[in-house]
Formats: sequence, C-alpha cells, structure tokens
Amino acid sequence: MIRYLLRRILLFIPTLIVISLLAFVISVNAPGDPVDRLVTAAESGDVANTATSSMLEEKQYWTHRLGLDLPVFYFSIAPLSYPDTLFRIIDKKEQHALTVMLNSYGNWLTIESYHSSVLQLCATHSQLSKDSVLMSSYHQNEIREAINQSEFTSHSLLDISNEKVIRSKMNELSILYNKHPFFKNQEAALQQVIKAHDEMRASPQRWRNYIPIIQFHPQNQYHRWIFGDGNWLTGKGSTFSKGLIRGDLGMSYTTKMPVNEIISKRIGWSLFFTLLSVILAYLISVPIGIRAAVKQGSFFDRTSSVLLFMLHSMPAFWVATLLLMIFANSDVLPWFPSSGIKPVTGYPDTAGFFEKIKLSLPYIILPLIAYTYSSLAFLSRMMRVSVLEVANQDYIRTARAKGLSENTVIYKHVFKNALLPIITVFANIFPAAIGGSVILETIFSIPGMGLETYQAILTQNYPVIIGVFTLTGLLTLIGYLLADMLYAFVDPRISLLKK
Amino acid sequence: MKSKQSPPFRFRTHTAQQFHKNIPAVISLYVLVLLAVLAMFAPLLANELPWYIKYEGENYFPAFSWKKNYIVKHQDGSSEKLQLDITDWKKIPAEKIIWAPVVYSPGKSDYNNANYKCPTCDQKFIDSNGSEIEMPGRFRHWLGTGNRGDDLLTGLIHGSRISLTIGFLSMGIATLIGILLGAFAGFFGDHTLTITRGRLVFTIIGIFFGWFYASQLRGETVSGGSDNTANSLLSEFLLRMLIFFLVVIIFSFLGKYVTMFKWLNRKIHIHIDGLISRLIEIMVSLPLFILILTIAAISKPSIYNVMVIIGLTNWTGIARLTRAEMLRVRQQEFIQSAQALGYSPFRIMLRHALPNALAPALISVSFGIANAILIESSLSFLGIGVPQDVTTWGSLLSAGHGNFSAWWLVVFPGLCIFITVTAYNLIGEGLRDAMDPKMMR
Repeated sequence: MIRYLLRRILLFIPTLIVISLLAFVISVNAPGDPVDRLVTAAESGDVANTATSSMLEEKQYWTHRLGLDLPVFYFSIAPLSYPDTLFRIIDKKEQHALTVMLNSYGNWLTIESYHSSVLQLCATHSQLSKDSVLMSSYHQNEIREAINQSEFTSHSLLDISNEKVIRSKMNELSILYNKHPFFKNQEAALQQVIKAHDEMRASPQRWRNYIPIIQFHPQNQYHRWIFGDGNWLTGKGSTFSKGLIRGDLGMSYTTKMPVNEIISKRIGWSLFFTLLSVILAYLISVPIGIRAAVKQGSFFDRTSSVLLFMLHSMPAFWVATLLLMIFANSDVLPWFPSSGIKPVTGYPDTAGFFEKIKLSLPYIILPLIAYTYSSLAFLSRMMRVSVLEVANQDYIRTARAKGLSENTVIYKHVFKNALLPIITVFANIFPAAIGGSVILETIFSIPGMGLETYQAILTQNYPVIIGVFTLTGLLTLIGYLLADMLYAFVDPRISLLKK
Repeated sequence: MKSKQSPPFRFRTHTAQQFHKNIPAVISLYVLVLLAVLAMFAPLLANELPWYIKYEGENYFPAFSWKKNYIVKHQDGSSEKLQLDITDWKKIPAEKIIWAPVVYSPGKSDYNNANYKCPTCDQKFIDSNGSEIEMPGRFRHWLGTGNRGDDLLTGLIHGSRISLTIGFLSMGIATLIGILLGAFAGFFGDHTLTITRGRLVFTIIGIFFGWFYASQLRGETVSGGSDNTANSLLSEFLLRMLIFFLVVIIFSFLGKYVTMFKWLNRKIHIHIDGLISRLIEIMVSLPLFILILTIAAISKPSIYNVMVIIGLTNWTGIARLTRAEMLRVRQQEFIQSAQALGYSPFRIMLRHALPNALAPALISVSFGIANAILIESSLSFLGIGVPQDVTTWGSLLSAGHGNFSAWWLVVFPGLCIFITVTAYNLIGEGLRDAMDPKMMR
C-alpha cells in the first residue's frame, strides 16, 4: 500500500509540473500589462510601501515586485540576434518595438545605440522645463506647448518600430526644433537619433535571425513563481513572494490582495453548495438506481431512466434561468429571491447560527436544485449499471442459494460492492468546490469561487484565474488518489500492491 | 483481407439492425438530419429578401442574387434603385411575391416590434401608406423578438449552423488526436517501437529546431506585420504545426543515416504507451472548463477559436477507448498473420488494426459532440470567446436571462439546445447498446 502510494505521489510530480507550466504559459501570454494595471489600480490598505514619487518609479517598483524584470524561463531558444538583456526593458510596448526592430534588422548593436540615443533625447527634456522658466522673452504658453509636444513625440519614438512612422516623427521634431531656438540641446540629440537610425537601417544582419541559440537563466519568472524570491529551498529571505510551493498564489491585479486571501474568503459558499448538492444527489440517486436495477425492465425502471436522461441533457444554465424565471419572478411565482445568498440588509446582529440558516434558506433552495439535478442522472445510472453487474456475480448467486432473503442479498451483498463506481465521483468533489460552478454562481450571484473566476476572466485578473486553475488541478490529482484508496478499502479484491 | 466464404455473422449489419430496433435513437437520428437540413439552408429559410418578386412587370430573385441592387424602370419614365440590403421589401407594392418561410434576417432589427415582443402579443406593422396596422400573419414574429426587435425564430435557425459546426469541427479535431494517440499507445505499447540512439538524438535536435522555426520565426512575421490581421487561431496553429513537423521529420530522416559511432547505432525502446497514458492523465486532471474559459478569454473572440479549443481539450475519452480496444485487437490472429506477411507496423496499425478498433471511439464521439455543444452554449451564455455579433443559441438565451418577462427568449433557445444535446446523447446510447456484445440476442 505504502509503496503504491509513494509511486503515485512520485507520478504526481510530472503532472504538477505540466499543470504549473500550462498555467504559467497562460499567464505570460495573457494580454495587457499587469504593471500598468497595478499602477492605475486603486490603492488598497495592505500594500504599504508604495509611497513612490513618480510614475516611472512606481512602474519600476511593481515590475520588480512581480518579478517581470526577470527572464521568463530557465532557458530560452532565441535567434542569435537577440541580446540576453531584452527582458530588462520594463515597458512592454518599448520591448515589443525593440523586438520587431530586431526581427527586421537583426543587428542588436545598432538597434541598441538607436534606442539609447532616443532615451538620450527624452532625457534632455527634464533640463529644458527648468530652463524655460528663465526665458521670459518668449511667450510662456507657447513654450510650454512646444516643450510638451517635443516631449510627447520623442517619448512616443520609444514605442514605434515602423520605419515610416519613425521618419515622420523625426521630421515633426526637426520642424519644431527649427522653429524654436531654445531647443538647442534637443537639436543635437535629434541629429544623433537620426544618425543612429540611418546606421541601423544601413547595416542589417538578418541572417542572425535564423540561427537559434540557447540561453540559460538560473533566475527567472517561472522559478520565482514556483519557489519565491528568497532561498528556493527554505523560502527564507523572500520579500514579495513565497512561491507556489509554499502556497503563495500571487496577488490580484485589481485589488492588490493576495490570491490566497481571496480564495479563502470566497470558498465557503462554493464548498457549501458542492458538498450539500453531492450529499443530496447521493441520497436521491442511490435508491433510484438500486430500485431501477432490482426491477429491471419494469415501469419504474423505464420511466426513471427516461426522465433522468432528459434531466442529464438539460444545460445547467437553462434550468437555472428557468427556475429563476418561474419561481423568483414577481409576474409568475414570487416565492424566492432572485439573487444573492442572504438578505440584502445582512443578518441581524443578534442572529445565531440557526437563525442565519433560516434567513438564508429561501436563497439557497433554487441554486441547490440547479446544482443537484444534473448529477442525479449520472449517479443513478451508474448505480443501476453497477448493481446489475454485481447481481450477476457468482457470490450473489451463492448468497441467494444459501436462502438469504432478497432484501439481505441486495442491501448486504450487492449494495456495498455496487458502491464502487460511485466512489469515482468522489474524486471530483473537491476540485469542483474550488473551481465552483462558474455558470450557476454567476446566474444566482452566489459569492463563491465560480463568480470570482468569472469576474477575474472579465477583468483579466490572471493571478486569480491561474491560482484557481493550479489549485483545482492539484486537488483533482489528490481526489483520484483518494478514490483509488477508497476502492482498495471497500473491495478486498483490488490490491494496490499488485499494480 | 476478407474471407471468401460468407460469414454467418457480420458485426456491421448486426449493429445496424440493433440500432434500428432502438426507436429513440432512430428518431434522434432523424431529428439531427432535420437540423442539418435547417442549418444548411438557413439563409434560404430565414431571409428578409424574397425568393421571388414581380415588380413593375419584371421578375427578380433577391434571395438568390449575388447583385447588390436592382434598377427598376417605372412606366412614367423614372427609375428606382432597389438596394438589396436596405430596401424594405415588405413595403414594395409588388404584383407577385414569394417570401422565404421566415421573413427576417439575422442581426437585422424590426424597430416597430423592438423591446421584447412576445409571440402572442399584438405586433405592429407599418404598411406602405405609413399607417400603423396589426401585424399581417405572414410577417408575424412567431417566436417573439428580442431587445432590438430581432426575430427569435430567425436567430434560432441561423444559430443551428453554429451548433452543428461546433460539434463537427471540435469533435473532428478531438477524434483525430484521440484516435491517433490512442492507437499508437495501444498498438505499440511500451516495448515494440524501437529507434536507434542516433535517430533519437537527431529527432530531439529536430524538435529543438522545429520549435524555434515554428514559434520564433512565425512569431516575428506575426508581430512584424500589423497586429490586427485576421489570423485565426486555427490557421496559425496548423501552419506552426506544419513547420514544426516538417523540421522534425527532416532531422529524424537525417538521423537514420548517422552510423558513425557504435553508441549511436544501439537500439532503444520508446515507451510510447507510458508517454501517451501520462499525457492523458495530465489532461484529465486539468480543470478543463476553466482552461477553456481562460483560453477563450485570451484569444481573439471567434467561433472557430472556441471550436479549436474545445477540440484540443476533449480528446482524452476517445484516446482511452481506442487504446483499450487496440490492446485487445493487437492480440488477434489476423494481426499476427499480417505481421507474418511482413507488412510494416504502421501499415498494420492503420490498415488492419485501427478499423477494427474504432467502434468504441465512435460512441464516444457522439457523446463528445453533445458535450461540445453544451460547452459552447455555456460560453456564449457567459459571453466569453464568442463575438458579440454572432447569434448562437447560448447568446439568445443569455439575452433572455437579462429580462425574465421575455420568457420566449429563455424557453425556445434552451429547448433547441436540449433537443440537440439529447439527440446526440440518445444516438450515443443507441450505438453503445447496439455494439455491446452483452446485449446480443
């Protein structure tokens, strides 16, 4: 048993690595710039040390905090033309522009000098605004406007890769600089940029794009995501992230709250509905399945299987909407509230546990029906099939031959062994609870994991999605292991040792 | 290789007979055929353009026309331009007119009946004189309208195309992957397939280069061009796969002729069954719905992307069944005789073993299609992955969810989904029963 367990747990490792890789690939390829979003996101109380002065500094802080200034993976297969420092450029648009230029020219040296000359041009502006105060002979507003325009255009040069657009921007700048004599410094810097750009175009090395090289990065985003930014084994010295391996799922982009906290806050209702509905489904479907099997071919067997089959084919969101439409509709039958999980005003302060349940009961009934009905069909069909199978076994015949009553045969001998396949369903309970039911929770506005996931998808809040995804994968694995062990526990014929 | 004496028992005819005995399954089959016909002829069945119109003595066929407009000469010498997309054909005083069965086009609004008109309500119509009258029976919205006065029946008819293509395309992808992987795993097992070390090394190098040329270089052309070119996930994916496999095959081919060192010539086993079984295990333990949701949210909203995503994630059931069946088939005598005849293992697998191992996979495909339709309608109900302007049964239903007094928007699309899914499930059940040897009588 222990050997089997160990083997299974060892097999977990590659599966977990693949799950984590998949999650990571999704989060890396997700659209949007997390740094931008975090900078603009509303401040929240628990992130204290963001008292930064400028936008750029704040950007640098978040980039560093999220580890985005690191290379992506342990190794990268990149063309020969790519430098190994491209990931250090913080701004995603800037990085993209450089990559496109690399792809079309392939000569990093000239591209880099062009890039740094543009940076130089941008840097000259900070001095300019201070100087402009001194130049009283000009019209102040005009100067402001010209400086702003120059600053804007030269900064936009950083994000552009298209040759024609770059040229037109340069023209724009040189016209502006010719018009105003106080742009003396800029004039020189612009000449530098133009020169660098010409040079870049003149000496392309496109062949370098077709030769792959492998670069290794011991410190990278994936490593950091898994092991945190401290010591990878002990987790000591980590400042921003303890790593997935120690249960740190990262931070929400919208609220800056740790994903762990969000999940622990939201999981209650999902767990409640999943567990309750599974218990209900078992209570209803097991008797139906047994009865249908015992009286195989009877009226009950036929009608129940047709009915349950139809239930099984009904989409959950349809049934849920129909339920709401009929039983929570002021025009038809206003028996239940249409959304939420507790009274809008909240529970009264004096309410005890049972009082709270009583208050929430009308909110719970409709969702519970929607949660339960679909698994009914599946479970009872499985039960029926396995009862039929077991009833044909030799030992059941023996039991009957011994003269045991039919009820004893069914409930003592058949039932226990027929439960086996139902155990498999167990494997899916906990992952289902974590993921929640996205659709049902959205329809009934139950504040659980499903609704959270749905909102995270809508707001592109990837850390939450990835966290749910990873956790669900892990729990599925554990669920399978548990189911296997239960199998061995219930059925002595299944020996895990032999495998 | 068919034996010459006619066998007393043929599996295929027996299965067909058994299937025909199953009345619900046969009815489902007819329902699906009907649905397919509906979907195929949707533009003719629900179209605001008349099939035939006689106007000012001339005959026109707007619904079948590829023209954009007609010039009509009036008797008083003036001429009128009938633009196919903006002319209100219902108000033209035609001499003779044959309408499509449903006289509304998808995505077009009937503003006179906007804001959720129920099927039995009074529906308004503005006649050619401009006065408001009771809706003539010919133009009625038989299943009601949505928010902007879009005809529900039209939406349902055109939505059937999407459900049908979803089923076929996504399950086509899933079946291809599932059957191939399952067949490889089951037929070759862990100890049949051998490879020289040299070839293995070269194949690995090939994978490295293939990855590079498929991802890096394609990546550069994608970002090099304008970013919003309409490169769908499907075409992009296929192209990358093509480049990848081409490079890998070239390297693997080169590896065949590397015989310099003794070490490279040693043969080793490929544990293909173990590899594929592990892959299946990994896929099964992924939370697929969240994965599909996430990828659908990341990728460009397109109905084809959704199909590809569903197809790429739902092949495990088929692969498992094919594998199990292959394990059984490969023990049989006809495989041994094929081996004795000296056929190549790939030929034996594809031509002899696979056709005999397809039956369980077929059943699974039927259930898979039902599942794919459910997933797609859930996605479009949530409004994820499917573009706004595409009408699907799920998106119609989701419009009804926003307004509970519009019960027709919930009931009818839901019924469509339900009927289709039930039909596929019943066919799957029918096939399973028909092919099950235990059920033989």
